[in-house]
Amino acid sequence: MASTVPNPDSLGSNPGRHLAHIAKVLRLRQLSAMVLARLVCTSSTLQRKNIAAAGPEKYTQEFIKKQIEEFNIGKRHLANMMGEDPETFTQEGIDRAIAYLFPSGLFEKRARPVMKHPDEIFPKQRAVQWGEDGRPFHFLFYTGKQSYYSLMHCLRFIQLLERILALPYCSMEEEYIQRFRRALEVQSKKQKIEPLQYDENEVAFSTGEGRRKTATATTIVRDNGSGNITVNGVDYLHYFPVLQDREQLMFPFQFLDRLGKHDMECKVTGGGRSAQAGAIRLATARALLSFVTENEVESMRQAGLLTPDPRVKERQKPGQEGARRKFTWNKR
Amino acid sequence: VLPVRWTRYNPYYLEPEPSREVYRIPVTELTDEQKAAQELKAVRPIKATPSGLTSSVFSDPTVSKFVNMMMEDGDKVLARSIITQTFESMKRKQVEKYHKAPATEKEGIECNPYTIFHQALENCKPIIGLISIQKGGKYYQVPTPLTDSRRRFLAMKWLITECRDNKHRRTHMYEKLSQELLAAFMNEGNVIKRKHDMHKMAEANRAFAHYRWW
Repeated sequence: MASTVPNPDSLGSNPGRHLAHIAKVLRLRQLSAMVLARLVCTSSTLQRKNIAAAGPEKYTQEFIKKQIEEFNIGKRHLANMMGEDPETFTQEGIDRAIAYLFPSGLFEKRARPVMKHPDEIFPKQRAVQWGEDGRPFHFLFYTGKQSYYSLMHCLRFIQLLERILALPYCSMEEEYIQRFRRALEVQSKKQKIEPLQYDENEVAFSTGEGRRKTATATTIVRDNGSGNITVNGVDYLHYFPVLQDREQLMFPFQFLDRLGKHDMECKVTGGGRSAQAGAIRLATARALLSFVTENEVESMRQAGLLTPDPRVKERQKPGQEGARRKFTWNKR
Repeated sequence: VLPVRWTRYNPYYLEPEPSREVYRIPVTELTDEQKAAQELKAVRPIKATPSGLTSSVFSDPTVSKFVNMMMEDGDKVLARSIITQTFESMKRKQVEKYHKAPATEKEGIECNPYTIFHQALENCKPIIGLISIQKGGKYYQVPTPLTDSRRRFLAMKWLITECRDNKHRRTHMYEKLSQELLAAFMNEGNVIKRKHDMHKMAEANRAFAHYRWW
């Protein structure tokens, strides 16, 4: 594709004609590139290949090397033409030279003639990541982000960062490194434990509230008791005839080994049988927090006694009979 | 549009551990895995315990799952009463057998209905399962390994369907269940037979094992 480059020494005789020849050579090169590209396009459309699937155009290393050689030679020619030193001819000089030699009236700056290093014109392509047998070179290739994971783990990046924080005088970099750290809060400190209250007879008591699925319960747990439980003024055995609900009432006491030591009085409204039992369980667990040590609070939390259950009845959607059930499918 | 399984809980929440023994182990005797798990639990929020489980010695998660699977139309009271009646009848049968047996065999007879239930369930669990895979227009039964939860589910499902379908008209559910559980404890009965059938089918279809791509 490269036509013979005119000898720079023959510049002297007719610079104007030589200039026109240089311009023609350069434009020819641009044109031939465009023609080639168009040829490539037409040939592929003739053969009906999927152009989009082929991806961006691939340039071989030799092609790019040739382009770089031609660019350098052209740069020296330009320098000679402009009367400057070829060795110290910068890109700004090239731009000025092209703007002088090929004045263009086009408004779009990107459409004007340009002479740049081929690395800036031809898009950078990834070298092929695998060998001839199809086996990738990097051992972390299949993670998708091989350089990221290799940085993170092979160079022990995270360990390095943590070590930096352990050194003295780390306060300078601490702020920067903390930006990449996420603070994990210790969950047990989020529990609000109210202090014990004392009523007229110097007996310690504590209140708690709990909700489960539209049922709300408020309880008062008193110390020095014998395990009596009163729900809405009625004994728990009469209010909850089902064993499972009574087990739920006992759960917080049984977990803390305080079955016969407290008295409980509670009020429940709303919900159904099981929801009221769950609400009372949460309320008693919260009330018992004031009587109990920190480790026991943490074990209660890990047993699931202190989390309010977020499960509620799912709403019905329009076009369906229930939350999930659809109307009977009719063919006609 | 495929239905997607979701919960009201954030996926960040961890499962609760209601039993008390875990919290009684002193800090020094924990293994490394348990220590790592404890540290993780200290930082993550935890879900609420479901209403079928408690920390008492009488509550069993396997029995609770079985009760839920037995339940129809949300009637947990009825399902739980059937299970308690089953255990009661199993205990009665075993105690009768115990008193009738000679002194040498008395130690071999298991009377605790919970251990019988667990052992029977263990005997009913299949080791390998079959999956229907479509290939080339036909459906093949391909042998595949099963997870623990899937095995437990299949064992319970077979027990319940067996008791619902193949019983004499006038027998109660608890009678039939206790018979099946005692038979499964002895590795006899229809449920064990069904498990062996499944294993034989898997062995017969060994050639299709490579149809599975996961």
